[in-house]
Amino acid sequence: MIEKLKKPSAFVPLALLAVVAVIPFVLPDSQYEEAILITCFLFVIMASGWNLISGLAGYVSLGHSVYLGIGMYTGAILGKLWGVDAMWLMPLGALMAALVAMVIGFIVLRTRSHAFVIITIAVLLSFQLLAANLKPLTGGADGIVVPPPSWAFELGNTPYYYIFFVLMLLTIALSAFVMNSRLGAGLVAIRNDEGKAASIGINTTLYKVTAYTLSAIPFGAAGAVYGQYLSFVNPLGAFAILTSVYLVLAALIGGRATLWGPVIGGFIVAIANEVSTVVAGGVSARVLIMGLVLVLTVMFMPAGLLPTISNRIKRNKESKSAVKFIDQAAIAKQNDDVQIDNIIARSKSASSYAGPILEVKGIVKRFGGVTAVNNVDLTVERGSITGLIGPNGSGKTTLFNCMTGTFRPDSGQVLLDGVDITGDQVWTRAHEGLGRTFQITRLFKSMTVLDNLVAPLEKTSARQMVAGRYSGDEVDRAREVLDFMGLGQFEKQNAAALSFGQQKLVELAQILMLRPSIILLDEPASGINPTLIGKLASVIKRLNDAGTTVLIVEHNIPLVLSLCDTVHVLAAGEILLSGTPDEVRNDPQVIEAYLGPDHLLEADNV
Amino acid sequence: MKLASGRSGRKNRLGAVVASLAVAGLVLSACSSGGDEAATEETTAAETAATEEAASGEGPIRIGISLPLTGDFSQPGGAAKKGYEVWQTLTNQAGGMLGRDVELVILDDASSQEQVVTDYNRLINEEKVDLLLGTFSSLLNYPASAVAENNKYVLIAPAGGSPKIFEQNFKYYFFAQQAVGPDQGNEMVKYVESLPEAERPKTAAFVTQDDPFAAPVIEAMQAKMEALGVKTVYSEIYPPETVNFQPIANAIAQAKPDFVAQGAVFEDGVNLIKSMVQLGFSPNMMFQTSAPSNGLQFSDAIGIANTEGIFYAVSWTEKADTPGNAEFVAEYQKQFGADLIPEEDAADAYAAAQVLQAAVEATGGLDNTVIQEWLHANGVTTILGDLSWDEIGRPQGEFLLAQWQNGEVEIVKPDAVATSTTVINPKPAWQ
Amino acid sequence: MQFIQILAFGLLLGGVYALLASGVTLIFGVLDVVNVAQGAFLVFSALFTWQIWDLFGFEPLLLIPLNGLLMGLLGWAIYRGMLVRVAPQGPGMTVLLMFGIALILEGILNLWFGNKFKSVTPSYYLSSFNFGDIVLPMPQLISGILAFITLGLIYAYLRFSWAGRALRASAQNKEGAALVGISQRSAASLAFAIGAATAGVGGVLLAIMYPIFPATQYDWISRLLGIVVLGGFGSIPGAITGAMILGVTEAFANTYLPQWSSLFFYGAILLILLFRPQGLMGTKTREDVVA
Repeated sequence: MIEKLKKPSAFVPLALLAVVAVIPFVLPDSQYEEAILITCFLFVIMASGWNLISGLAGYVSLGHSVYLGIGMYTGAILGKLWGVDAMWLMPLGALMAALVAMVIGFIVLRTRSHAFVIITIAVLLSFQLLAANLKPLTGGADGIVVPPPSWAFELGNTPYYYIFFVLMLLTIALSAFVMNSRLGAGLVAIRNDEGKAASIGINTTLYKVTAYTLSAIPFGAAGAVYGQYLSFVNPLGAFAILTSVYLVLAALIGGRATLWGPVIGGFIVAIANEVSTVVAGGVSARVLIMGLVLVLTVMFMPAGLLPTISNRIKRNKESKSAVKFIDQAAIAKQNDDVQIDNIIARSKSASSYAGPILEVKGIVKRFGGVTAVNNVDLTVERGSITGLIGPNGSGKTTLFNCMTGTFRPDSGQVLLDGVDITGDQVWTRAHEGLGRTFQITRLFKSMTVLDNLVAPLEKTSARQMVAGRYSGDEVDRAREVLDFMGLGQFEKQNAAALSFGQQKLVELAQILMLRPSIILLDEPASGINPTLIGKLASVIKRLNDAGTTVLIVEHNIPLVLSLCDTVHVLAAGEILLSGTPDEVRNDPQVIEAYLGPDHLLEADNV
Repeated sequence: MKLASGRSGRKNRLGAVVASLAVAGLVLSACSSGGDEAATEETTAAETAATEEAASGEGPIRIGISLPLTGDFSQPGGAAKKGYEVWQTLTNQAGGMLGRDVELVILDDASSQEQVVTDYNRLINEEKVDLLLGTFSSLLNYPASAVAENNKYVLIAPAGGSPKIFEQNFKYYFFAQQAVGPDQGNEMVKYVESLPEAERPKTAAFVTQDDPFAAPVIEAMQAKMEALGVKTVYSEIYPPETVNFQPIANAIAQAKPDFVAQGAVFEDGVNLIKSMVQLGFSPNMMFQTSAPSNGLQFSDAIGIANTEGIFYAVSWTEKADTPGNAEFVAEYQKQFGADLIPEEDAADAYAAAQVLQAAVEATGGLDNTVIQEWLHANGVTTILGDLSWDEIGRPQGEFLLAQWQNGEVEIVKPDAVATSTTVINPKPAWQ
Repeated sequence: MQFIQILAFGLLLGGVYALLASGVTLIFGVLDVVNVAQGAFLVFSALFTWQIWDLFGFEPLLLIPLNGLLMGLLGWAIYRGMLVRVAPQGPGMTVLLMFGIALILEGILNLWFGNKFKSVTPSYYLSSFNFGDIVLPMPQLISGILAFITLGLIYAYLRFSWAGRALRASAQNKEGAALVGISQRSAASLAFAIGAATAGVGGVLLAIMYPIFPATQYDWISRLLGIVVLGGFGSIPGAITGAMILGVTEAFANTYLPQWSSLFFYGAILLILLFRPQGLMGTKTREDVVA
């Protein structure tokens, strides 16, 4: 992102904005142009604001103009009460929108996808209803007449022009700032895979509510002035669903999750709106035209103008240069010289607690009528490599998910360093030193390997959220971890371009960035080739040597038996046996439950 | 890159802005440049010719109007357009204004406030129209009046009598009907007052849509009726999206009022009456605001027999014996269908145009400030009757009280303009 | 007695809501698409009914099969032509697509019918059926009964025909249905066609009850979403229950508190989605609690 701003192409929009800034001076009698451009600015402000939550984090809101309405009412009510121009009320409009958004966001962002879309519409319409019925405050359906501004009559709308213009610049600056911050990176991670984002320590609730609140601020500020610009505020106009749809269309056309997409889209939609009025006015065709534009965009250019164009340019370039060949064997060149201890060791070297690092007590988890895990006790000793095995359907994945926080157990406790973490969020567990990988890797596929490694957060703090995406020593650490894993040369590759096995290693590297005291590996060996399994085993051993505890859930019995100090065998939701690899290997119960009678353990042949 | 050259005031500026930005977009994407010069020069010869004529004081007088031709207010907006067009035809047939033809420049604002602002700015600064006429509904006339006031253009509005609009104390805004909202039920109250004590309704139900035009009429009427000693037995407001009126009709029926007054826009009025018919509740007196003024739409919807005796407040009927009314109706039917009765909204628009015409001809020019001063000082005779205004554009007259009688609309009060001497009271039962 | 009267109003209205909401919920169950265009489909069918009635003057109820079929075909075409393409983009985009389609339909209706309310007034439109002291308005009674008959037919179809069973299987478990040879695309087309057809039938019923106008489609969006959310997305019994509850609630609200009557729909959406996202009748499926 930072690099992008330095490219010459970034100057084109900036130059354009400069041109727009001087229009009232170079163009005489430009009231009409100003009116159109004010609408353009407003759409840019709204589309850019919307982009923060819906573009970056992927939570599509269809009712975001509710915050414009809140700003309009704030400006109108207070402006009348205090007799001041609306422009001075912009901060209050923004504040009001932010407060409402914070409360609503905290409630609403618990829902996802469809539910979120519907609830945003319902919130918008509820506010319309409130505004119509809270007569003493809002004047009801009659609305509020806002007195004209105090500046000289001859200035016309030009002051509004500059107010909205500056507001637009501020909004663009805000979105640039968010996009280049760790907050922005976290939001993109949430859009890509929210569960994964939480597992690498991103406080998804905080991030989403923050983005939602920030996204409301430009709306609130613009609304405060917009009410006076229209000279009148009423429920239907202030909380219009069509405004919401048009602003989404603006962001969509330009390109979601880009900085300049909503800007371009805002201009396109506002001008298309005006053109369809001028050209098709009187033929009742405007709704039809806007509907067509919406349908065509969604169908044929869902990524938006900017990403589509840049993809095309990129594709042209790529087709000229040969496709890069990823050397599978290169993985073997692991750099054994890297001193990992400093890179991955936790700063406050664990806790003073001397007992087992992870304890599970009496965990029960039911799905409907099925009891998947029934009253399981289990300990993972500090510094050990512990295995958890069991036949399919034995409940080991469910148990694993209860430990990582993906599932809440119906009863029982999970203790980390002796502290009860049963109710903790996934990201809190990550901060506390519990890292996990996934059976099917869940890397952020559109990001580079390096970006994937920079994404994890060791803690949640405001300072960190506003920090630049590549600030701090994360990049250096990430490179060292990659070197240690032998993945250094892939840092600029997109994660999706790697083989499945390489992705598994990257995911492990990603977890190391959290400086975990215990790593939970979910079937690390499944689906990868034998060479990489060997590589994986050696990495695990080295991590363990450096003091990291490892818990492995695995189907690959030879791997588990060769690596682990202790193995827990789960069958039918209960612990069948806990013991050393030898004990497990020779236990007839295990052999029967797990492999059926007459079966010779493969490990014997190893 | 320049968006448009300084001397291009007469050119199609929207075209220039669009073209420039489009070109800019291409520059942005393809990193190419140039080519915008041709785009800004693009303008049709016809447009240039038209605007040049207007500027030089020859050719037609151009009047700018923005109307809600789509969206929530498209029904009255469409009717107003017809009224304006009928006026244009008749005026041009009679030799135009000041010896020049009149030309209407009508834009659609899609019932949107922000679009109304853009539209009137466009009309004033881009189309450079000589005069303006108002749009429909107070909701849109609020922002429109501010634009007009800022540009010192007279705005004569065919609708927009909500009392709030006059809080702005604008000089250039005139409401071209007889009375503002709260006064529109006055004739109904006066009629009740004129009845002998024994014949007056004892109880009344007041129900209104939460609408800026309907609600003030009903609220004011309730206060005045209560002052006459009529007891309120039901008083509720329902939201505009209500379709299910049976529970409301049922609740009113339970209260057994003698008099029912509804602030009805259209379909809510139809739905309430249909529900009352189905429930078999027929009040002695029934008053609605706008719904019954919709002619055939109304009588078709509730059945012509059921219209008998329904009162409503109105600014105009096709039967009114006002100067020029017959010509208006005839021309309307010629243009839009012989069997059609003009909408009240069409007549209001026509009257607004008449007001403008009278002022232009009396002042002998197109100076909006002079026109404004003249209108504050003088009355105008229109198809709505005589109209005059106070210092902030509030009309000084009284609305009419109309009643459906024998499947037709009659003005029953005030007596001076009544088209029927009888008033049906009590209302016959539903058919 | 008043209580029963108001309840009766609510239940009759609820029947029509149930029919329309079933269409929305069926489409969601099979396709994961929130059909915000259902209101536009409905108004489209109602105005079409008016057009035919106005031209030929015959009994509007006879149009029910034709309108059902026409809207079904339209739904099928929208699915095959547009939704298939957009569906992989996720729920946000499909909602926007359906919103765009709603706007297009509204635009077409504006051009076609102009800006006037249209009323269909068959012989029985003002009559009512008196059951003791209880008054049942005839159009509402007919609509309620026909809505339930249509719902019964749809239910029988889903229950007893092979295609219907395939469709239900697909709604419950897409991968599983695909494994046993049910084409997801065919099931989805069928679901969309049936869902749109309910709007076709509902449009006729709407036409005999109320005056119609293109822009009224917006009022139906929140109404139907409220019902579907309350009942549980994807559950037809849930949609019927939700429709009955909200129909009755609306009737009582309009009797005692008309000013706030719309709030129940929004309120239902907000409260249900927050505290019981699976709705009254939906079942909670195993999913990540991380959200």
